Amino acid sequence: MTTVAQAPPSVRAAPRGWAPPRIKMLDVISVIWLVLLLAFAVIPMLWMLSTSLKGQFAALSQPPEWIPSRPTLQQYETLLSPTGTVGPIFLRYFLNSLIVSATTTVLGVLIAIPAAYAFSRFHFPGRDVLFFAVLVRNMFPVVVFLIPLFILMRALHLVNTHWSLILTYMTFGLPLSIWLLKGFYDNIPEELERAARIDGASRFKAFWLIIMPLSSPGIIATAIYAFIGAWNEYVYALTFLNSENLLTLPVGLQHFFTEFATNWPGLMAAAFIMSVPVVVMFMVLQKQFVRALTEGAVKS
Amino acid sequence: MAISATDPLAGPAPLVAKPQPPAAPRRRLVSEIARHRTDYLWVAPALLVMGLVIGYPFLYTIDLSFYETPPSSPNWYPNGVNNYIQILTDPGFWSISLNTLYWAVGSTALAFLIGLGAALVIQREFFGRSLVRGLLMIPYVISYVAAAYVWRWLYHSDYGLISGVLYESYIIDSPINFLDSTSMVMLSLIVANVWKEFPFAMIMLLAGLQTVPQQLLNAARVDGANAWNRFWHVTVPTLRGVIIITVILLFVGNLNSFVLVWIMTGGGPAGASQIWITQVYTLAFQSLQYGRASAYSVILFLVMLSLGYFYVRALTSGGRRREARG
Repeated sequence: MTTVAQAPPSVRAAPRGWAPPRIKMLDVISVIWLVLLLAFAVIPMLWMLSTSLKGQFAALSQPPEWIPSRPTLQQYETLLSPTGTVGPIFLRYFLNSLIVSATTTVLGVLIAIPAAYAFSRFHFPGRDVLFFAVLVRNMFPVVVFLIPLFILMRALHLVNTHWSLILTYMTFGLPLSIWLLKGFYDNIPEELERAARIDGASRFKAFWLIIMPLSSPGIIATAIYAFIGAWNEYVYALTFLNSENLLTLPVGLQHFFTEFATNWPGLMAAAFIMSVPVVVMFMVLQKQFVRALTEGAVKS
Repeated sequence: MAISATDPLAGPAPLVAKPQPPAAPRRRLVSEIARHRTDYLWVAPALLVMGLVIGYPFLYTIDLSFYETPPSSPNWYPNGVNNYIQILTDPGFWSISLNTLYWAVGSTALAFLIGLGAALVIQREFFGRSLVRGLLMIPYVISYVAAAYVWRWLYHSDYGLISGVLYESYIIDSPINFLDSTSMVMLSLIVANVWKEFPFAMIMLLAGLQTVPQQLLNAARVDGANAWNRFWHVTVPTLRGVIIITVILLFVGNLNSFVLVWIMTGGGPAGASQIWITQVYTLAFQSLQYGRASAYSVILFLVMLSLGYFYVRALTSGGRRREARG
């Protein structure tokens, strides 16, 4: 016990005269670990990009070329040219994904805002039960809803329309949206609205004029989350849609795979194009997220 | 019967002794609801769509699980718990369950450990930290579909990067069939899955690490605790709630994870990577056995519900602790 307590001062006292660079074992391990971690996370993405810049047959060379010897944008041109055989179909998928994700996001946020505000501020009976019911949604397996929703959508004549996806994505995104927004509202001091209420504003007016502008970073973060969720979804799109011209990108990609089975560069280019919007949006979200976290830390 | 009937009567007895008659709280509840009636308008749209798209289908699944639904005829008839019996007595069910367990436990454990390791290095201050954090999180934000195709390409037995690099460096002398061999397929899928979800564990734990009181760590250092002891006796106990929630969310996410397995192997080869969720999908949309698939879903749901119980408990205890502190 005493030896343990005395050891550190003696270690610390030693490098006094010549002050060497103190490279600690832990730092070395940290750097090696960080490099391995980055390699694991980034190499698959780089390989996707590298492959997408190769010709169809250059991609099949062995040993694999890390950097394409003759890089070409041919795959991207094929996918993105509005004329030709592949371009129009791919652009159609892209547009469909955009329509579905944007509509989902707008409607979802509009519904989530008042609910999150109510869960944050009001003390109506059953509030906690309802809030947990909302959260527990996350525990349900997606397939539990797949069959009955398919039957429901068929009864509503929504199968093979974008509305079946919008309604589904919006609802499944709500729990997370409400949870995120509630966190933002919880951080806004209630005194602000109370002051407005005393000045004669209605509850809605106080919410609209005071809370909405203050919570706009939170709303943007929530919207981006909802958009990414809808943009990436695969299972429901696979089940609800069957017309070629309605398909969204994740399902459309599968068609590319079967049609152009050996064209790996083309598939990687399509996957890359599909990933760009969400990665860009995430970079925006990351700042919001860090800010939300540090704000909470400053408060406590 | 008579004895058990008297037992519940023993319960309410103390209520009589209380000064408040039992009717009063109920009347107060009604008046409370009436007083707050406009509050419900704010949550009504959310509850309405969730009732339609989540509540109704959920009850419908339970109902459907007690029906025989022949794929080619519209005549569905009730068959009691027959669907459940057939699932549980099918020897295939247990091998699928074993695959599912391997998949979920393996993915969760690896993703958690790598995520924790990542959070611990990212937590330290260094040049380019936020860039590194952003790069590490990219796998998490891209879609499962893109991830599945990228990993399929990486694992390609003839032209894949992994096989190619191993071959070039003389580690192997013939290409590896990552996804076509029954012994390799689960491990290969787990690695791809861990790549996709370790950043989730990382951000959760990173947020948790920021709540570890610095004074406590410093105090432990002054007392001579080494890095491991500081981690094990200070950091881990503080993170307990976050760790529980992260592990449960990862585990449930893995039980629900469909896309990666479906696109990379479709449950093959020879059912070697078939897990519960892909099996439900196959039953419902390839064999068109809605009733049987519904029963399967209900079994899955019961498993998740038991996990959900711990999730809610961890969440509420965390909230209580926060309230106590604030």
